[in-house]
Amino acid sequence: MVKYAVEVKNLSCNIGGTQALDTIDLAIAEGESFAVLGPNGAGKTTLINILCTLQKPDTGSVRIAEIDALTRPAAARATIGVVFQDSSLDDRLSVIENLEFHGLVYGMPKRERIAQINHLLELVELEKWGDSVVRQLSGGMRRRLEIARALMHGPKLLFLDEPTTGLDTQTRMKIWGYLEHLRRETGLTLLVTTHYLEEMEGCSRILILDHGKRVAEGTPAELKAAHGENLLRIMPRDDAVASDITAAFPHIRHLPDGELVLPMRDDAEIRAFMANYGHRLSRVETQTSSLASVFISLTGQDLRDNTQKKTGPDIRRMGRT
Amino acid sequence: MMIRLLRGVYGIWLREVMRAMRDRGQMVGGISRPLIWLLVLGIGLNPYFRGEVYGEVRFVVPYTYVQFLFPAVIILNIMYTSILFAVSVIWDRQFGFLREVLVSPMPSWLVLFGKILGGSTVATMHGSIVLILARFADITFTVTQGLTAIGLMFLLSFGLTSFGVILANRVRSFEGFGVFSNTIILPLYFTSSSIFPLDPALSRSQTSVVYPEWLVMAIQVNPITYAVDSLRGVLLGFNQFPAHIGPAVMGTMAVVFFIIALWDFRRP
Repeated sequence: MVKYAVEVKNLSCNIGGTQALDTIDLAIAEGESFAVLGPNGAGKTTLINILCTLQKPDTGSVRIAEIDALTRPAAARATIGVVFQDSSLDDRLSVIENLEFHGLVYGMPKRERIAQINHLLELVELEKWGDSVVRQLSGGMRRRLEIARALMHGPKLLFLDEPTTGLDTQTRMKIWGYLEHLRRETGLTLLVTTHYLEEMEGCSRILILDHGKRVAEGTPAELKAAHGENLLRIMPRDDAVASDITAAFPHIRHLPDGELVLPMRDDAEIRAFMANYGHRLSRVETQTSSLASVFISLTGQDLRDNTQKKTGPDIRRMGRT
Repeated sequence: MMIRLLRGVYGIWLREVMRAMRDRGQMVGGISRPLIWLLVLGIGLNPYFRGEVYGEVRFVVPYTYVQFLFPAVIILNIMYTSILFAVSVIWDRQFGFLREVLVSPMPSWLVLFGKILGGSTVATMHGSIVLILARFADITFTVTQGLTAIGLMFLLSFGLTSFGVILANRVRSFEGFGVFSNTIILPLYFTSSSIFPLDPALSRSQTSVVYPEWLVMAIQVNPITYAVDSLRGVLLGFNQFPAHIGPAVMGTMAVVFFIIALWDFRRP
């Protein structure tokens, strides 16, 4: 029989009048690495908050490591480690002091604390920084420390809410390296929310949320097979072009930044489109079936909107807002 | 299980104490404040703190002004540290540290208890620093007196730190905080018979002639009055009110404020 690390049934939660989560079912087996994906405000953080018992759902049941998290929250909390979206380290304490504090709060005896601190500092390659005050560490080092801290008490499950946002590629690779290593060695279950596609490719299953609802769920390959399309992404030169194209292709999708997305069957169709409209576009991009195109198909939003596009000035967009 | 929870409380307590020890600004304030009050205000007003009866100079109360002021300065130091503890609570909430503790298996009342215990310890330390200046104030006390005084300081610190947490739950920003010193700490301090005595030789009606009724009222309803009085009783042997009132008032504050703080804390 499969042991479930997380078992959620019929979960709904209303926050301030908006339905943050709407009848969500979720079952994550032990040792899985499960990704939750969705545009901003889709309910990812609410889901994590409910799973780590910081928030109570309106309806539904939540079982964490086969413990009912709603009736026995303290017991459920003992089995999870959490890495929050924003740093929750005490930046006036040193690296070791932060870990030591966590160990004390989880009631670990001294010998165990020392052993774990040494082990984890080695794992996340922070041995040399043990006595540095957290304020002096770089963003990537802080994240690694937070992961080490979440693992201090030996949780069965690790929740990571956008653990790698804002970090450089090298650091992100490193962090995923640690996590994969742990998952294989110790059977740790991972539940991750992230914006980065290459990180999700390695996950065993993905849940896509939008407006609090489950839009799709499956392995990366399944999702690509079921929802992936070849997409043509275009940026019209002006609004007149945009309305012309929209009139010709009623099923076109509009991204929030003005970009238009058209599903394309094959290259011939793309060539035909380009012959008609190519000269009136300021940017064209094709996207083959990938998790990114799955995401756009299902939610009508671009994953990259949330992250990378924030950097660099976009004059056209600046004029419009 | 028990020992696990105790470790948790110890961890939270230790963090508060360590943070306070590293906060140089707080330390400087804790030392410079009593120095200014005692050396400048105390010594400056010392000559005026006496009355003349039949041409004979005597002190209004049988102590010099610096001696009279000394216990009140201890209380002032505790008030600042305890009430400004709210900043630490707001800080934890703002910068997400609170969540780190809330996802732990510790029950929330123990989290709060550990935190307030830490804050009270720091406040008591700041109160005890003032005792080092006792020689300047010409006050001598035995070890027992000193320990009793520290015990009372801790009791007061616990109540006021809880009060600080209650404030923190109502004030959500750092900006609102400068105001506290002027709207809460100093008014409470000045109306606690800290810097002037209600002449114990006078009857109630005579007191009302010397002081306006509202001021006498303010002093009598102010719980800090009894804390100051109680500390004076221990360090000087001088009480303006029955000696048991002070500890009773401070004990009540500690319990009531902690319960209110807990009530707030549990509400999401």
